[in-house]
Amino acid sequence: MQIRSPGVWACVALAVAAVLFALLATNPYHASLVVWILTNAVLAAALRFVLQIGELNIATAAFFGVGAYTTSICAVLLGWPFWLTLLLAPLVAALLSALFGWVTLRTKGPYFLLVSFAFTEVVRLIYTQINVIGGNSGLVGMFPPMAIDAHYPAFAAALLAAALFALYGVERSDLGRLFKAIRNNDAIPRSVGLNVVFLKVLCVVIAAAAVGLAGGLHAYANNVIAPSDFSYFVAILALAYVKIGGEGHPMGPVVGAAVLTLVGQRVAGISAWENIFYGAVIVVALLAFPGGLIGLAGRVRGLVRGGAR
Amino acid sequence: MEVFVQLLANTLQIGSVYVLFALGLTLIFGVMKIVNFAHGAFFTAAALVVTSVMPFATATLGLSLPASYLLAAIAAFAVVLCIGAVVFSFGFQYVLKDLNGSFILSIGLLLVLNGIYLAIYGGAPRSVPQVLPDTINIFGARLTEQRLALVIIAIVVTGGLYLLIERTRLGLALRAVAQDQEAAMLQGMPYRRVALSGFLIGAALAACAGVLMAPINAVTTVSGDEFLIKAFIIIIIGGLGSVAGAIVGGLFIGMVESVGGYFFDPSTATLAMFILVIAFLLVRPQGILGNAD
Repeated sequence: MQIRSPGVWACVALAVAAVLFALLATNPYHASLVVWILTNAVLAAALRFVLQIGELNIATAAFFGVGAYTTSICAVLLGWPFWLTLLLAPLVAALLSALFGWVTLRTKGPYFLLVSFAFTEVVRLIYTQINVIGGNSGLVGMFPPMAIDAHYPAFAAALLAAALFALYGVERSDLGRLFKAIRNNDAIPRSVGLNVVFLKVLCVVIAAAAVGLAGGLHAYANNVIAPSDFSYFVAILALAYVKIGGEGHPMGPVVGAAVLTLVGQRVAGISAWENIFYGAVIVVALLAFPGGLIGLAGRVRGLVRGGAR
Repeated sequence: MEVFVQLLANTLQIGSVYVLFALGLTLIFGVMKIVNFAHGAFFTAAALVVTSVMPFATATLGLSLPASYLLAAIAAFAVVLCIGAVVFSFGFQYVLKDLNGSFILSIGLLLVLNGIYLAIYGGAPRSVPQVLPDTINIFGARLTEQRLALVIIAIVVTGGLYLLIERTRLGLALRAVAQDQEAAMLQGMPYRRVALSGFLIGAALAACAGVLMAPINAVTTVSGDEFLIKAFIIIIIGGLGSVAGAIVGGLFIGMVESVGGYFFDPSTATLAMFILVIAFLLVRPQGILGNAD
């Protein structure tokens, strides 16, 4: 019952192009920029994924950190093999998010929002308090194995793109329809005998697994992680990507992440203006362009077509 | 005994700031059904204005310390009320009762406001002299008069707010809107104006906390944000929208922080608070004093 649209193939082509670019780029900065954009895209897509059930999940930032720390602890402190460390990142993030979701999603109203923020800050606080994992300064020395070291950006880009397609696939499946039904009115899915709390938790778990994988890949791409990399600000940036790209369309987070990451390279480092820039993006997108760039493009196309007729 | 009284004094002093902060947040939620992530920005604005007006008033205008503090406080309230009115009329009034939308908007506003503060004031901590620097002894516990004044003022303000909500026409309107906005509008209440009043009162409470804390702790451009996580925990425990819950929750979290901070360390205390919150949510998903819906 899936509708195949030409847009999907365009996205596949785009993903292949991104991986090829990361593989062939001669400037390592350009290759790592592709990984950075796709990492942000996965964060934004995961945030949007949970917005499907009507919840804003600030803990996206926390699960990103959990993935990165899981991989780094296993690789640096335990010396486990690369593939295993990378596999554990989404698993641990998913497991933790299941616990987190089970506690918070039984509540009604804004409690999920509030706890997801508190959770993110508390997890960050826990990292700083444990000396074995480096406390405030974090962990150093996660390197991909020699065999793929040279092509790591392409490898990471491929996995991140796969995560994006997986999220999209779930959204288009019957499960995705159930998520949307819950957002519209959760009494109706409940009335036909569905376990709404379980479905909500499942939604948060799927998003957390994608973000956990992104965290693990981020750890190997960056070679160093610190607690301050995983504050709630990560989720706020992801929110800005979703808002500027357009919440209504699966490509919205990707477009938003690409645009803002590239523009952000110019304002990064100037803390005051960086804040004002991202804040203004969120405010203006929310109030003036609720559909984001993709919604805007759709409106322009509609106008052009309307004029032609 | 000394330790006990000292911890009680610390609890009251930390708790009273938390109560003021959380009261504003919970009042705004009650009336507008929005969670204001930018609430800390009101606190910060007030504290920053105090740190810039006070030196000016003492040095240039030659006022005495208490007089310049009073002037600074008035300026701080004026600035915060202006910011509040601007963000309400250009932002929040379009997303009333839209929980996610308003939260996202307030995140954006927080970034913009923090950026502006940083651009104006820079990152260095700013401090002002204490107005009442003397220390007093109560049953062997030491407390500066400044902190004692903070507790007394917080109690008076909280009492005043209680009277305002319970005894005045505006309070009646606020309660009516919080209970059922449509029914209140059917009775002819101007919802937008009531919402604005509630929002400004909430902002003024945060400003009050900021003005009171400025002489006690050094002020940075993110001072107010540090209260946010604790305020969230307080309103989860107390129940969102509940005034009594914010008072009880604020004092309770103040106690956990002062006792936990005394016997362990501040990070452990914050961790303990979070574990408490999770326990609360498991047992009572609607908060101690919250209603079922």
